[in-house]
Amino acid sequence: MSAHEQAEGYLPHEPEKATLEGRNKILGFWIFLGAETVLFGTLFSAFIALRHNVMDGPTPAHLFELPMVFAATMILLTSSLTSVFAVQAMHRHKVGQMIGWLIVTVVLGLGFLGLEITEFNNYANEGHRFSTSAFSSSFYTLVGFHGGHVAFGVLWISLLIAQIFKKGLTTVTAPKIYVSAIYWHFIDVVWVFIFTVVYLMGKVG
Amino acid sequence: MTNEHAASGHEPKQRHRTEGPQKHIVAFVLSLALTVIAFAAVSAGEINTTFTYIILVGMAILQVFVQMAFWMHLKDRGHLFPIIAILGGVFVVFLLVIMAVYWLWW
Amino acid sequence: MDWLTTVDHKKIGILYLLAGGLFFIVGGLEAILIRIQLIKPQNNFVGADTFNELITMHGTTMIFLAAMPLLFALMNAVVPLQIGARDVAFPFLNSLGFWTFFFGGVMLNVSWFTGHVPDAGWTSYVPLAGPTYSSNHGIDYYVIGLQIAGIGTLLGGINFMATIINMRAPGMTFMRMPMFTWTIFVTSVLIVFAFPALTVGLVALMFDRLFAANFFEPGNGGNTVLWEHIFWVFGHPEVYILILPAFGVISEVVSTFARKRLFGYSSMVFATFLIAFLGFMVWAHHMFTTGLGPTANALFSIATMLIAVPTGVKIFNWLFTLWGGSIRFTAASLFAIGFIPTFVMGGVTGVMLASAPADFQYHDTYFVVAHFHYVIVGGLIMGIFAGLHYWWPKMFGRMLNETLGKLTFWTFIIGFHMTFFVQHFLGLLGMPRRVWTYLPGQGFDTLNLISTIGAFLMGVGTICFLINVVATSVKPRNAADDPWEDGRSLEWSIPSPPPEYNFKQTPLVRGYDAWWKEKMEGNREMTPAEPVGPIHMPSPSILPLVMSIGLFIAGFGFMYHRMYLIVIGLVITFGCMFLRSVIDDHGFHIEPEEQERGVHA
Repeated sequence: MSAHEQAEGYLPHEPEKATLEGRNKILGFWIFLGAETVLFGTLFSAFIALRHNVMDGPTPAHLFELPMVFAATMILLTSSLTSVFAVQAMHRHKVGQMIGWLIVTVVLGLGFLGLEITEFNNYANEGHRFSTSAFSSSFYTLVGFHGGHVAFGVLWISLLIAQIFKKGLTTVTAPKIYVSAIYWHFIDVVWVFIFTVVYLMGKVG
Repeated sequence: MTNEHAASGHEPKQRHRTEGPQKHIVAFVLSLALTVIAFAAVSAGEINTTFTYIILVGMAILQVFVQMAFWMHLKDRGHLFPIIAILGGVFVVFLLVIMAVYWLWW
Repeated sequence: MDWLTTVDHKKIGILYLLAGGLFFIVGGLEAILIRIQLIKPQNNFVGADTFNELITMHGTTMIFLAAMPLLFALMNAVVPLQIGARDVAFPFLNSLGFWTFFFGGVMLNVSWFTGHVPDAGWTSYVPLAGPTYSSNHGIDYYVIGLQIAGIGTLLGGINFMATIINMRAPGMTFMRMPMFTWTIFVTSVLIVFAFPALTVGLVALMFDRLFAANFFEPGNGGNTVLWEHIFWVFGHPEVYILILPAFGVISEVVSTFARKRLFGYSSMVFATFLIAFLGFMVWAHHMFTTGLGPTANALFSIATMLIAVPTGVKIFNWLFTLWGGSIRFTAASLFAIGFIPTFVMGGVTGVMLASAPADFQYHDTYFVVAHFHYVIVGGLIMGIFAGLHYWWPKMFGRMLNETLGKLTFWTFIIGFHMTFFVQHFLGLLGMPRRVWTYLPGQGFDTLNLISTIGAFLMGVGTICFLINVVATSVKPRNAADDPWEDGRSLEWSIPSPPPEYNFKQTPLVRGYDAWWKEKMEGNREMTPAEPVGPIHMPSPSILPLVMSIGLFIAGFGFMYHRMYLIVIGLVITFGCMFLRSVIDDHGFHIEPEEQERGVHA
């Protein structure tokens, strides 16, 4: 039903909210984010409980390098902004611009992942491995889950870019773009807590 | 799966005021500033630990508010249930974090 | 084949009923074996190891694979009808939720065939469940099986929340929803916020066991009490997830069979929210003896006792509904009325347990076992039986036999009280939980004997129900739309069973007890809110089944460290997700001519 409207070349103003399916998807996704909040929250509280138990491994103050963390933060923050621009382009029905901003978002996401992989590699060489201690297990699980979410987001948005090329912007594809943007913002929000609780508080002690 | 039609009107060519990027860029700058303050508080190294923690948590919470209100549209109309969904999650997390912190410091 | 690809909530409800029923029988058999072992002192019907496996699997199966799916069966069968919708918000996800639950349950029970069965209790405490003390794969089946099944439950919670928020018929404001729908809504909220904690706990335990992590390894800085915190932050809301739907059923059944409006609707809604809210704040009452300290213990004690208040509000509201009503005793209403005193008994022992100092005596004795069986079996299972007898004609177009139903009720409730009432005294006399046998001469012998006989009687009751189901299935499918004649809510305004699209025209709701209101004004049908027209339906899909199989295969890969299985399994699952995203499903339409002929589900 919804795709038929495209035959007339008419796209509503907020295409993602124009159909019941679209509105359901957006609401359902917000509810899922409520669940994800608890998921990350549990990982955070396990980390908080275990963060001082470094055993023989290096301490967070010793390990973490703030410049690299700051760079990663900037990359992710910027990518969140570019995904806002993508959705705004979508509302203006400027498909080319939307795709452009989405590509930038994906590239920045890949950059973030690259930095994180390098970082983990460095840590492994310094004796901070998954099995080293309770601190290290909870560190890698928490930060790793976040990284996994970033990776999934990168794949998802890339797939959506391809779909837009093939099917164009419709009331069926618009909710997908909108929802992926909300997801991307959410993982930036989680990162705010990660750099605060894990890295900055780790440095302070 | 129902006979409902698109909620948004069939008004063709209507001028909708699409919001500009200004508010979002402001949100970006604010997030940036809050991040820099947090990093600076730690790098400076001379601030008392408890006070540093308060700054860090404060900056983080503010930044999350900014991002969720602007970038995730929570300040816009029609977002009551999303707000409830997030607040519900935050409530449970709050309990969990209190448990973890209390455990360490009692 | 239709059943493997269906996305129709009514069929999915029946699938949940079948699978949940099957696992209920498995769990029931496990219970019978436990009770046989305990019938007399120093029995050796089964060995100690097997006994530990039996109690673990009995608890895990009954809670996750029987009770929750049976509730999901009722949820699926009834909620969309009660709100005047044609399906849930996400029919595909609904199917996916079922199949992941099913394969998670299969995975858990496959363990019986490998000889490595989970045996650390349904709560799987560490360090017993950790890699050092449980080095075989038993606990891995628990961890991975539950993880897969848990995904299904979480999806269901999201689905029903979105459905109830977005898809109510015109005129159905929140405060005009039937009480069952309200309780399902609040239950879905609980699921959404409680299950992720379990997910993290299971991940942490899995990482400890399979990848040498140290969450719970004290030697490497881990903490075993952390598991208890994480598990019970999930586990306590879980028991409210179990009971709130049963409360909803009781509200529906009591008001229908008293021919009277539910007393105190607003307070019922408020009480439901309060129970859910408080339910998140009491988890450490399962941990009073772990050394949290007197302040924490006191706070959790008080919070726990507070939950008795909204629960009491509900009990009184049911009693006031019955009072002055024109009561009809059917199997359904007998189960509902039997529920009330039984659940109250369970509730008051709960308040006894809530007192931390007293709990130091009760903890890990049969007193606790008695309490939770009273609320779960005497509460939840009776509620499920009530709901099944009540809604059976709507789901299957046939009324269950009333005589057999009443026989089921009497055997079950007498058997139930025989089994579990005596267990309070066993606990007070000092019999510990989770012991595979006991010495004679401690005063336990007769009570255990009575308990076992009661268990057999409950088995008889269950068999009665199964006979009823089979006998009914051969009767003609001719139930009326409103077979109890006193139906109050929208599901009774459409045929039994409903056509595939539920409502030919979405109804206009003019008040609470929407159908009753129309009947009392002399209308034979609901006022429609839209004209007759083509109805858009979602297409069936095989992907949910395949995705779940993928997870199942990957689970084995993780457990047995076989990379190729992990890869194959995850490729299947993610491949299906990819296909789902890329291939557009526009559904199909049912035209008015077909609607006239009645398209049956």
